[in-house]
This record gives sequence, structure tokens and C-alpha cells, in this order.
Amino acid sequence: MLKIDKAMDQVTYVSMALFAAIWIVLIAIIVSGAWHFVQTHGFVSSVASFQWDPLQSHFGIGSFIVGSITVTLLALVLAIPGSLALGVLGSRILQGKWQQQFVRFLTVFVSVPSVLYGWWGLTVVVPGIRRLSHTSGYGPLSASIVLALMIVPTFSILSLNALRHVPESYIEGSIGLGASEDQTLWHIILPAARPRIVQAALIAVARGLGETIAVQMVIGGQVRITSLLHPASTLTTQLLTDLPLLPVGVPGHHVLDFMALWLLILMTVIVWLQYRLRGSGT
Amino acid sequence: MMKNAGRDVGGAPDIAVRQLSVWYNQMPALQNINLYLGAGQVMAIIGPSGCGKSTFLRVLNRMIERLPSVRVEGAVRIGHFDVFDDHVDVTGLRRAVGMVFQHPNPFPMTIFDNVAYGPRIFGIKSSAQLRKTVEDSLKQASLWDEVRGKMRRNAETLSGGQQQRLCIARALAVHPEVLLLDEPTASLDPVSSAKIEELIVQFKSHYTMIIVTHNLQQAARVSDVVAFFEQGRLIEMGYTQDIFTAPKEKRTEEFLTGRFD
Repeated sequence: MLKIDKAMDQVTYVSMALFAAIWIVLIAIIVSGAWHFVQTHGFVSSVASFQWDPLQSHFGIGSFIVGSITVTLLALVLAIPGSLALGVLGSRILQGKWQQQFVRFLTVFVSVPSVLYGWWGLTVVVPGIRRLSHTSGYGPLSASIVLALMIVPTFSILSLNALRHVPESYIEGSIGLGASEDQTLWHIILPAARPRIVQAALIAVARGLGETIAVQMVIGGQVRITSLLHPASTLTTQLLTDLPLLPVGVPGHHVLDFMALWLLILMTVIVWLQYRLRGSGT
Repeated sequence: MMKNAGRDVGGAPDIAVRQLSVWYNQMPALQNINLYLGAGQVMAIIGPSGCGKSTFLRVLNRMIERLPSVRVEGAVRIGHFDVFDDHVDVTGLRRAVGMVFQHPNPFPMTIFDNVAYGPRIFGIKSSAQLRKTVEDSLKQASLWDEVRGKMRRNAETLSGGQQQRLCIARALAVHPEVLLLDEPTASLDPVSSAKIEELIVQFKSHYTMIIVTHNLQQAARVSDVVAFFEQGRLIEMGYTQDIFTAPKEKRTEEFLTGRFD
């Protein structure tokens, strides 16, 4: 018994160490590549520049950073009302087995591959925007809509759990005073669930920021961001586009590392915010 | 069609329960309860666990309806409220019938906001009026001296006994006429319990009160009448002194003397 425990411990430690090592190597590759890039092209000048023409040695990634942040935040804003509504429906309105079925239903949508969301974007969102705005229909707005739809299932399942965690005693206290179910929802349940909902939102944002294929299918792929309705790119989509253009050994290849590093930086900010905001909750 | 909040007598209402039965799914929880409690009196409900005491309290403010598959039959009248009438104003009823729970359940907000919650729900916006209501309610609940100047602190920083008095203040802030106390001292230490008991004695004749308790001495100390419930039935009800000195029913006597299986 004790021997097995010890062996299990060792297996755990070894695999943890292995994981950590692989992870450190991956980060190191990106950081060292990015370091090469920064030494020749400068950090601020690359981030602040919007001119991207790698074959002419113009490596301004400002457009992509702005694109990533815009598309992700807009997607979050679009996803919040629907996700909270679905969370309330699944936690407060549906009862018993209907609640379980509802969670299962949402889980199906979590597992839909992103290329299908992109396909839906191509066949529905892009033509729709095209008709409404008399533009090509490709651009950050379409990308945000597709991304919002993609993150709603995850966001709503997490919100649903957050709302379900609110102690019944708070709710009884409020109802017992004569508050209606709606008043209790707005004044007690949602505020009490807020820290967990913020956390859910940040997990959704992290997913959105990293999404590549669904965004690439509808954002248009132009290297300069001008408006929500005109083609643009994000860090992830441009990485995907330029991988074949800038293979290892080609001058300027390391800008890809620099872009990857920026993705990591943005992700780190999200994780940090998650801890910050959760800590300042109840 | 809403009924008037039924507070014309300027005092506490009486409570009349007729042929009340409650089922959870098909399981009977209360069977044919008939009782009458005079205005401003304190009734203690005693009985073994699962005898229907808490269910009975939750019938009186219709909290019972929040549970799925519950069936209620019979009639309950609290002052002017015909509790199970389809047209009764449930919000007004719950406002008039305050409830204090077994575990102190302050909301996760400041002390002030806890007490101001009810008045705000009922539309009071003036901050002067809110401050006065909060202060009055906290004084009534004997908590004011301990929390004055700390109104912006989170209510969860208070001790258990203080939290329970805060919950009482929160209930008082909407000016109820009836207080339902569901084992209000079960999770408190003896000193905190004594303070709650003092409050109940002070509140006598201002509010009609029903207290569920497992503590027989407590029932003896605070109540005017005692009702003994067993397996969903009201076995015996009478003046506190009579019940404790000369119970009529054998089951009551066995329960009071601890010879109870």
C-alpha cells in the first residue's frame, strides 16, 4: 500500500517535471526568437508601427495587436448578455432534469470545432454584414460576431455554475423580506455571483484571443486595420498567414516569434486579471 | 386585486390555521393542523426532528411554494391576509410576516445595505429616511451600539450572534407584524442565544411571534403558548405553564421528560 503510494508520488513528480521542462523549452524558443527580432528591429518601433511588409523589412505589428484586442473585446461585449441570460435560464428557471439537459445541450456547442463556426460565419454573418453595410462583409465586426457565438456556450456554462453557487440562504433571506424573484436575481444573486462571472468572462476572453481559424475565415486578411467593417488581421491569423512566407532561416522569420510572444503577454495579462478580480470579490 | 396590508389595528395580527395539510410529492408533512394564536402572543413549536415544524413556518409566509411538488390544503389567516387566497398580495404578506432563519444569513454586502435592503426593495430612496430606518431597526435589535460607525463594513465580519441580530434588524426594517423564528439560536453560543431571547421577550405584544426551537428551556422562557408537533400532527397546544407542568397528552409528557423514542 505504502509502496504504491510512493510510486504514484514519484510518477506524479516526474511527469510534472517533464511538463514543466517542455513548457520552459517552448517559451524559451519563442523568447529567444523574439529577442533576436527586437535586437535588429527594436521593440517600440515594431509595436507602434502599422506598416507590415516583411519582404521589404517593414515589421510593424501594431495593426495585429489592435486587431486581436478589438475583435476579442467586441466579442466579449456581444457575448455577455446572451451568456448571462442562458446562465440564468439554466440555473434559476429550469428545474431538475431540465437543468441537466440544458447543460448537456450547451456542452454540445462547446465541442463544435471552430472551423464550423467559421463556416457559419462565411455563409451567414459575412453575407449579412455585406448586405447591411455595402462593404465586402469581411472584417473585425464579422469576426467578433462569430467569436461571440463561439464563446457563448463556454461562458454560459461557467456563468450557470457561478449562479448556482449562490447560497440558497441568501435567496431565502431576500424572498422572505418580500422581494420578488426578479428583484432577488438583480440585487442578490447576480452581485453574489459576480466574482465567478468575471472569471468566466476572462476564460471566455482567453479562448477568443487564441482563436485562429474561425477568425481567419471571416476577417478578410488585410494587414492594416482601418475600421470594423473592412478586412483586417489579428496576431493569430497573421501568424498563420505568414508561416509559409517566412520559414526558418529567412530574414524576418523571428517576427513570428515576436508575435507569438505578444500573444503570450496578452494571455498573461488575462490570467493576472483573473486572479486580481477574483481576489477583490467577496 | 390586492388586499390591504392589514395593519389598521396598529398592532400585531392574530393567526388562525384551519385543516392545514401539506404533502411533499406524495409524502404527508403536515396533517390536519388546526390552531389559533392571539394577537401579540408568542408561540413556541417543539417536537422531534422532522415533525413538520419548519414546514409549518414556511407555510405561513408561503415560502413553501418555492419547493417543487408541494401540495397545500386548508386555510391560513394572518390578520387580514387570507394566506392561500389566489388574489392575496404575496409580497405584502411576506413583508408583514418577517422570517429569521436557523443559520444567520446576512447578504454579502455592508451592514447598512443589509438592513436597508428591504426598504430599498419597497422603493424608499431618500438616504435620510433609509439612515433613520436602519438606525431604528438596529436599535430595536440591540445591535446599534456594537455597529455604529462600522456601517460600511461587510456584514460577514460580524460574529455569529451579531449576524443573527443583524438578520432580525433586517426583518424589522420593513415593519413586519409577525416574526417567524426558525431555530434562531441553534447555531449560536449561550451568550448570543440569551441576547436573542431577550429580544423576543422585548418584542412581545408588538409582534405576533412563532419560534421553532429544540431547546425546551428556551420555549419555557420566551413563549406564551406551546405547540407540540409529532410526525406532521399537532399533538397538543396550550399555555406554556400548563404544557410544561401538566401536559394532557402522554406523548407530550414523554417528549418533555426525555422518555421519547
